[in-house]
Amino acid sequence: MFSDETKDKINAAVGVGKTVAVYGWIPFILYVGYSRSSPQPSLIKLISPLA
Amino acid sequence: MDEKVVSASTPSPAPSAFTPYLDALHSIHRPITNPIANTYSRFEKWKEGFGLYQPGTVENLTREIKQTHLTNFLFDGARADLTKGLSLSPAFQVTHSFSLASATQPPSYNFGAVFADNNTLLQGGVDHTGSVTARANQSWGANDTTKMQAQLSGQPGHSMIQIEHDHAGPHYSLNLRTINPSPTDLTGIHMVSLLHSVSPRLALGFETLIQHPQPQILETSTSYLAKLTSLPAPGSAVPVSSPTSLGLNSLNQWIATLQLQPQGIIQSTYYQKLSPSVDVGLDLQILNTPASPMGPGKREATATLGAKYEFRMATFRGQVDSQGKVGMLLEQRFTPAFAFLVGGEIDHLKGTSKIGMGVMIESSSMTPEEMQAQAQAAGMAPM
Repeated sequence: MFSDETKDKINAAVGVGKTVAVYGWIPFILYVGYSRSSPQPSLIKLISPLA
Repeated sequence: MDEKVVSASTPSPAPSAFTPYLDALHSIHRPITNPIANTYSRFEKWKEGFGLYQPGTVENLTREIKQTHLTNFLFDGARADLTKGLSLSPAFQVTHSFSLASATQPPSYNFGAVFADNNTLLQGGVDHTGSVTARANQSWGANDTTKMQAQLSGQPGHSMIQIEHDHAGPHYSLNLRTINPSPTDLTGIHMVSLLHSVSPRLALGFETLIQHPQPQILETSTSYLAKLTSLPAPGSAVPVSSPTSLGLNSLNQWIATLQLQPQGIIQSTYYQKLSPSVDVGLDLQILNTPASPMGPGKREATATLGAKYEFRMATFRGQVDSQGKVGMLLEQRFTPAFAFLVGGEIDHLKGTSKIGMGVMIESSSMTPEEMQAQAQAAGMAPM
């Protein structure tokens, strides 16, 4: 139902989306959680296991 | 419902130029829609009369027994989980977990983050090899939830994504799920499952698996499910609207389930709450494949009996099965923020054993005053 060219484009877009998700998912959650929690925690506490 | 809409729209305060047309439209569609709406509402009322209940999702069919049994909780080697709560509402916490000295798995480190508010759950984890697990749930009201789960890694061929939608009707649960769908040719693994309550105690359902790995290949297989519960507690006179099938606080509640899967697999479970702190679960799996050109027939069965004891500061799980395995897991909480886990399993037939020890430490980034203020705010304005 798609031409080969369209298929290639869709597959490339899926690949890009996957790469974005691999590197962006954790920072995205940390950003959402950090910006919405009240009171805002300090950044070092967000990352370090010991602080 | 249709009738209501019609009657609400017809008595318009000032008759407009469209009124005759609307009346005509009304008189045309009324003889058709009215009987349908009537039949539907009578059918719904007729169903109400049976005292049906919301049976819970197919995925949660054996949830109670999974919570009771040791299988999903036992681990091997040593591990430490450091959980840090950063906010209570919305919930936001990060977890660092370390695991080592396992006989089967290499040492690993995993960082996890969870964010949850009333409608959304976002969860992510990344381990030291860089593979990411992601989970997101979004609920669109009381009855509909869309879930996404993914496992993403740098290497090709190791990624998985699963998208599903849960719909809970008054007497049934419907779940649509797709694993690794391809947007170009719709290949992937798709699943449809439905569980419908047919009497106040019995729910029947099916789960169809559609395997579509290549555009030319399409295979379906269907499992059948049944769930029988003890009578609803006398206190809950409205079994129809209660969200869970059983108020699990009440005593002597039991749940029996049966699953008939293709290829001759039968799984039956029985769960009973013996007292407020003791749960017992029995699981029987039977594999019975007839002899075929693919190989000789197989007849195997495994029975697993497990019990869970909940004490004030500890949880104990013990389990024994017909393959000669005996196992236990103790989770002892010394303070609310510190828990110690010890568990092990001995396989008497194979002569192997494994043991696991772990600690779980929870800390909060907030000062006691901040926590108190937040608890107060949450109590005053429940979001």
